[in-house]
Amino acid sequence: MYDFVRGPLFWASAIICIAGLIYRSVKLLRLTQKKEIVLCPVTISPKDKPAPAISAEERKLDRIARFQNSVIGQHPVMVAVSTVFHVCLFASPLLLLAHNVMLSSAIGIRLPAIPDGLADLMTIFVLAGAFFFLIRRIAVPKVAAISSAYDYGVLFLTLMPFLTGFLAYHQLFHYKSVLTLHILTGDILLIALPFTKIGHMVFFFFSRLHIAGEYCLGRGSRTWNT
Amino acid sequence: MVIAEIKPLEEIKELVKGYKKILNTGCGGCTSVCLAGGQKEVDTLNTKLTLSFQADHVPFEIDGFTVERQCEVQFITEFDRLVKSRKYDAILSMACGAGVQFLAERYPETPVFPAVNSTFVGVNKDIGWYEERCKCCGDCVLGFTGGICPVSMCAKGLFNGPCGGPQGESCEVSKDIPCAWVAIYKRLKGQNRLESIRTIHAPRQWRDQIQGRIILEPYKARYVKSE
Amino acid sequence: MTECAKAKVDSDTIVEILDQKKGRMRACLDACAACSLCAESCLLYREKNNDPQYMPSYKVINTLGRLYRKRGRVSREELEQMQQLLWSNCVLCGRCYCPFGIDIPNMIAFARSILRSQGIYGVFPHTSGSPEAECKEIDATGN
Repeated sequence: MYDFVRGPLFWASAIICIAGLIYRSVKLLRLTQKKEIVLCPVTISPKDKPAPAISAEERKLDRIARFQNSVIGQHPVMVAVSTVFHVCLFASPLLLLAHNVMLSSAIGIRLPAIPDGLADLMTIFVLAGAFFFLIRRIAVPKVAAISSAYDYGVLFLTLMPFLTGFLAYHQLFHYKSVLTLHILTGDILLIALPFTKIGHMVFFFFSRLHIAGEYCLGRGSRTWNT
Repeated sequence: MVIAEIKPLEEIKELVKGYKKILNTGCGGCTSVCLAGGQKEVDTLNTKLTLSFQADHVPFEIDGFTVERQCEVQFITEFDRLVKSRKYDAILSMACGAGVQFLAERYPETPVFPAVNSTFVGVNKDIGWYEERCKCCGDCVLGFTGGICPVSMCAKGLFNGPCGGPQGESCEVSKDIPCAWVAIYKRLKGQNRLESIRTIHAPRQWRDQIQGRIILEPYKARYVKSE
Repeated sequence: MTECAKAKVDSDTIVEILDQKKGRMRACLDACAACSLCAESCLLYREKNNDPQYMPSYKVINTLGRLYRKRGRVSREELEQMQQLLWSNCVLCGRCYCPFGIDIPNMIAFARSILRSQGIYGVFPHTSGSPEAECKEIDATGN
């Protein structure tokens, strides 16, 4: 079982994950098109009053008001936890020394590695974040109202590799079994990644960064196909 | 929809200064869609006014509440319990002029101030870019003019063809403004309906009117070529 | 009940309309992480004391989401529940916030067009009956 999960199953899941992400990305890209930004003629109608000079004071007030009423200002805890969670979620498996050693011996390339203590701390942050999300999903009415078994399942799926990895690293319980479980749950997560709501990371890239709209973070150079 | 533009902060501050407890009312209708007076604008304005009056050491309290739209009685009744219980000195409205007046009628003892300028009835060309299309003249001739309004799109509001001024296809006012009547002619020719404009229509009172257009400051870079 | 209301649900027409924008809508529905960060951007959610039924994601999941999940095979009662969510619980002010950039207003508008195909239209409380009935109602309530 151990050899299977760390061998053929891992390669299969990695390939499925990468292929799946490419598939999702291409599919999304094809659902959108470049947006023709029509320029307005320079001579604006005489009805347009020249914009009143905005004082530095008002600009400052504007910045503060926008920040306070943004998602960070309105939900600082959620945003902070989510940011730390996501950074650690990506960084800890990608930069873990053990993973990179195996990657290097398998395909000859590797990423920079971080000290084990740091990776351990990141894993704790991921688990704490997952626990926060779980409590939030159960206890906050607006989140509970749209939560289903699927949402809890995906959360569980996401935290399992990190929990089992932590237990394996600290050699708690039966090492080989925990390690096998770690690799197995990691493989399942990789397979599920492009095909579940975890794919929101791909959607974010295309939609929030590129599709024109009030909340677009980019230039708004794309739009959905008509 | 009605397009509005938020007043400068200084002007709003001048209107409400002297009042200690204000209710800022937003509108989920037109002014929300054109990013002038929706819930988000209410929150932002409240923060700015609060900070500004704080900096001046002036006691000031402002609440915000947004309803579906302020031009309908069933929706503005939502303000009743707040106005009654919190006893505001004044009400600020981020709805169009119609909504402001409706509120003022409903709460005649309380001063009601507008926080936006209603500018025209128009369309949402793109995010942050709104253009006038209709002057609400009350006698729509769009059926005869191929869907191009001579009242809002012609600088002189002519009803029976262009004046002698067009420069090519442009209005004599500016080369960037198309002549409405050239556009009407082309549209009707394409539909084989030139007969529509061969009928003489009774003239309206001549008014100098050029199509209104607003491009919000944050979006100017997107739509206006920099020189 | 009106004649329209008694009519059978035409699931084939619903599926035909759903398929027109299947790619985009399914992508948006799949991307929803159920984070509920859209809630406070809705004026009705705040106006109605943070009732989750006014949350943009709630509205979309229980209307368009349901229509896709059930492949248009819904009952008339379900459509009437959706009517409540799409018209009474939403004014299409277009200001829904989504951290992933999901275009919620567009999805609400699309769901409305599907309901219209089944003869279900917007509900406006004071237009429930004939003009005479409406006038009586106005006189009685003063509104």
